[in-house]
Amino acid sequence: MSKADDRKKSTEDDLFVQKAREMFEDSVDSLDGQAQSRLNRSRQAALAELDSGTVSLGRWTQWAPAVGAAAVAVVAIVVLNGNPQEDPIAMPDASQAAGDFELLIAEDSFDMLEDLEFYSWLDIDALEAGESGTGADVG
Amino acid sequence: MVSPLSAEATSIAVSSTRKSHTGDGTLQREQELGRFLAEVEKRALRIAEISIRDRDEAHDLVQNAMIKLARKYSDRGTDEWTPLFYRILQNGVRDWHRRQAVRNRVMVWTGRSKDEDGNYDPVAAAPDPGGRTPDEQLQNREAMLALEIAVRELPARQKEAFMLRTFEGLDVRGTAAAMGCSEGSVKTHFSRAVHSLRETLGEHWQ
Repeated sequence: MSKADDRKKSTEDDLFVQKAREMFEDSVDSLDGQAQSRLNRSRQAALAELDSGTVSLGRWTQWAPAVGAAAVAVVAIVVLNGNPQEDPIAMPDASQAAGDFELLIAEDSFDMLEDLEFYSWLDIDALEAGESGTGADVG
Repeated sequence: MVSPLSAEATSIAVSSTRKSHTGDGTLQREQELGRFLAEVEKRALRIAEISIRDRDEAHDLVQNAMIKLARKYSDRGTDEWTPLFYRILQNGVRDWHRRQAVRNRVMVWTGRSKDEDGNYDPVAAAPDPGGRTPDEQLQNREAMLALEIAVRELPARQKEAFMLRTFEGLDVRGTAAAMGCSEGSVKTHFSRAVHSLRETLGEHWQ
C-alpha cells in the first residue's frame, strides 16, 4: 500500500470516527427526561456517599460527652456499691454512724465526762478485785 | 524577635486557616465531583446501554460506578477520575456479561429459550432526537442503531477501546488507564475496531 493510500485510509477512518461520534452525541443529547432524572438521582446518591464519611464521624463524636459521662457514672456506682467483704477499707454503715452520733450528743454522755474521775476509779477498783479473785480461783 | 502573644496569634490564625481549608476543601471536592459526574453520566449511560442492551441495567451500572468512585477514589486527582470511572464501569459491564452468560446457560438447561428474555427493541428504546425533521430523526436513529449493533458485535476489548476513544473522547493514555492495558494495545484494538466497523456498516453509512 502506498503512502497516498495510507493517507486516504487514515482520512476515511477519521471521518468515520467523526461521524460515529456525532451520531453518539446526538443520541446522548436526546436522552429523555426520565433517564436524565434517574441519572440526577444516581449522582445525588453518589455525592451523599461522599458525605456519609463525615456525617457518620460527626454523629459518633457528638455522642462522645454523653458516653463519657455514662462511663464515669458506672465507675462511681461500682466503686460505691462494691462488695464490702472485698473492700479493705470498709465503709461505715449509715445507721451505725447515726447511732454513734446520737450517743455523742446525748446528755448522759456529758454527765459521764463530768464524772470521769469517778468512772476511772471504778475501772481500777474492778481490775484489782478481778486480779485477786482470778488468782484465788486459779490457785 | 517574635513575642509569645504574636506567636500564639499566628498559631491560631494558621489553625483557623487550616480548618477553613479543610471545610472548604470538602465542599469544593463535592462540587467538583458533582460537576464531573454530571458531565460524564449521560455518555456513560449510553455506553453502558450499548454494551448490555438494557437501559435499566445500564442505569444500575452507572450508579454503582458513581458510588464507587465517590466512596473510594474521590480523594484522587480530578484528572484521574475519568479513567477510574470508566474502568469501574467497564468492570461492571464485564461482570454483567459474566452473570448473563451463567444465566443463559441455566435458561438453556431449564428449557427456556433466549428469545423469551431477548425482548429488547432497540428502535423503541432509541432516544427521541429533538430539533430535527422527522426524516433526519429517522436517518439518525437508523444510523445510530446500525452502529450500535455493529459495535456490539465487536470483540470485548475492541468494543471498549472504540467506545472510550470515540464516544467518551478519551485519549490513548486515558483509555489505556481505563482498560488496564498498554497504550500500544489500545491503538491496536481501536484500529481493528474501526476497520471492522467500516467493513460491517459499508460505504452507505459514511
